[in-house]
Amino acid sequence: MKSKIVWIQGVTCNGNSHSFLNYQNLDIFLKKVEFLYHPLLPSKYSLKELSEKRFDFDILIVEGAIKKSYERGIVSLNTLMEKLSIKARKIIALGTCAAFGGVFKSYDEKNIKGLIFDGEEKKGFFKELEKKVINIPGCPAHPEWLIYVLNMIEAKKKILLDDFLRPKEIYAFTVHSGCVRNEYFEWKVDAKSFGVKEGCLFYEQGCQAPYTHGSCNKILWNEVNSKTRAGMPCLGCTEPTFLKEELFKTKTYMSIPANMPLGVPKRAYLTITGVAKSFKIERLNKRLIDES
Amino acid sequence: MRVELIEKIEGEAKLEYRFKQDKIDFVKIVFPHYRGIEEILRNRPVWDALAINPRVCGICGHAHLFATVRAIENLYQNAGIDVNIAEKAKLIREITLFCEHIQNHLKWIYLVIVPIMKSIAKINIDQNSFLEIQKAIVNINRVLAIFSGQWPHSSYMVPGGVVCDPTHLDILQARNFLKNALNIVERRVFENIVFEEITVAELEKSKTDSGKIFRFLKENSLLSIGKANDRYLIFGEHSFTKRVKIIKTVSYPVKMKYVNEKSQKSGFAKNVTYKSNYYETGPLARMMLLKPNLIKQLHRAYKDGISTRIFARIAEISFLFKIVEEHLNSIELSQKSYNHIKTDIKEGYGESAVEAARGSLIHKIWVEKNIIKKYEIITPTQWNLSNGTPQKPATAQKAMIGLKNGKLAELVFRTFDICSVCTTH
Repeated sequence: MKSKIVWIQGVTCNGNSHSFLNYQNLDIFLKKVEFLYHPLLPSKYSLKELSEKRFDFDILIVEGAIKKSYERGIVSLNTLMEKLSIKARKIIALGTCAAFGGVFKSYDEKNIKGLIFDGEEKKGFFKELEKKVINIPGCPAHPEWLIYVLNMIEAKKKILLDDFLRPKEIYAFTVHSGCVRNEYFEWKVDAKSFGVKEGCLFYEQGCQAPYTHGSCNKILWNEVNSKTRAGMPCLGCTEPTFLKEELFKTKTYMSIPANMPLGVPKRAYLTITGVAKSFKIERLNKRLIDES
Repeated sequence: MRVELIEKIEGEAKLEYRFKQDKIDFVKIVFPHYRGIEEILRNRPVWDALAINPRVCGICGHAHLFATVRAIENLYQNAGIDVNIAEKAKLIREITLFCEHIQNHLKWIYLVIVPIMKSIAKINIDQNSFLEIQKAIVNINRVLAIFSGQWPHSSYMVPGGVVCDPTHLDILQARNFLKNALNIVERRVFENIVFEEITVAELEKSKTDSGKIFRFLKENSLLSIGKANDRYLIFGEHSFTKRVKIIKTVSYPVKMKYVNEKSQKSGFAKNVTYKSNYYETGPLARMMLLKPNLIKQLHRAYKDGISTRIFARIAEISFLFKIVEEHLNSIELSQKSYNHIKTDIKEGYGESAVEAARGSLIHKIWVEKNIIKKYEIITPTQWNLSNGTPQKPATAQKAMIGLKNGKLAELVFRTFDICSVCTTH
């Protein structure tokens, strides 16, 4: 029997819905599930019916942050959430807004939160649902991440989660893993400017990839690329701290990046940096592709 | 008064109808959601707007990024800083913007227009047709991601250019993805890449979904419903658009200073007028500027009724496919992607306009000591869905007044390709 899914939205931009429509095997996936409600795709119920009718289903997907009084259809988001969350076997908080509050949180700090988390603290509006909830943060979340979690749930397999309820198979990696600029990071060669293939964006351009959990450079975006591969600094969008300030400049203390690569003690980082910088690797200090 | 909830329009809207003698006498459009983007931007470093603004909208975030980068560049220019964008970066910015338009228009046909048509009368377009078109969307977004890193929500355009430095191999891949997408679209939506130049008679005979949509409108006597004010506005300047208003097919230049945005008593959307008048913006406005044969003929017969509006959006798809291909073929990769700009601003103002999928998008930024003091966004849907008075109805209102029932009004409403999240932002 097809899994029944209800996909609702809180305070959102619809980015996760559209990211989902990028899924390359959507036709195959839709043969296995039935959307009782989806914000874009044709689905069984209207928003009005969603709050009025009685029905059973398996998985609730929540996209967007929770603001209790936010109108959704003919009821408040809180009313809709209370009704649906009881019935759902599992709940997926899809995207950073649903997981932690996200971008829109700063407009109304007290009243906009994630389901379980409010930023880094476990103070979300529905924290009593913790056992049912899996967070898939990202702004937006990659469609493959969502499909993986749905498949695991359907197969009744255990999903190992980190402290922020994120599946480890996706978020144990850093966004830095698999970045094509890794050699420049290893030898501490910074990107001299935007718009070039050469150099690491961690030192000047604000790249947060070395300390951001995510598989962006492992499971590529739109199957072809990633922000850092394209030359854009990672904004740390899978983290509860998203969105920080001054995103295109690296914060430094005495010329040393203020944030260390994940799990790396500052002393270790400085030692390695000192060694790496004492050598000048010719190949990494010139253009990759030139006429010479 | 009867209130209808309209959903699956990137959020929701409410239509409050007033009927008189079995006809819609007046309708008010209310948008319930507000996320405070303009307030979130306040007191942040200028470039943070590049990361925040794409998040206004999941389907046209790229247009918001483009508008942001242009507003910041204008801010620098107004402060006497030289802003030099290489032709290569200009072409890449347009390629990704137009790809966003194409995916938007395709989603609109199959997820917005065909379903509402189905609820009115029989139309022979398979329920699963979207799944075939979705493969085209996947490919179009790959073209985009080759340059922007990902879609949605990239911030790859920065003041001074773009951050990517593509190779010939990237361009080749992009061309192949574009071709894959076009093959699917030509199989389903239109069989002719010069679709915008075909005749109405050819459209009527077409076996594609475009032909089916036309015949549906004709058989149900819907070709000329949904006429608005027949006045159009384009603010975003691109390779095929200029800043004009079009009244009765004649273009006149326009100035930003005559754009006026005003809060409304109910809902969170603000009204927008140009010299106190309501205008339509979007693909129909752009096609009224370009005047391809199909749109010229449709407009002659049905004015700005829904058939002209619907096929303007479809015609724009075929037109944009060609522009994206031309741009891909003419990128000179040896040019610089990015030219460094001095970014220190004591005090200043910048403004911009971009053509988003749904029409003219305006951004305005006020800065003090490199910090955003105020930011204003005027979205295309605000233009099209403002609320006027019964004496002076705004664009979509005018198009719905006089119709016999809410279903038809909903069809007309949806031809404007509503974006709820953008409207209130």
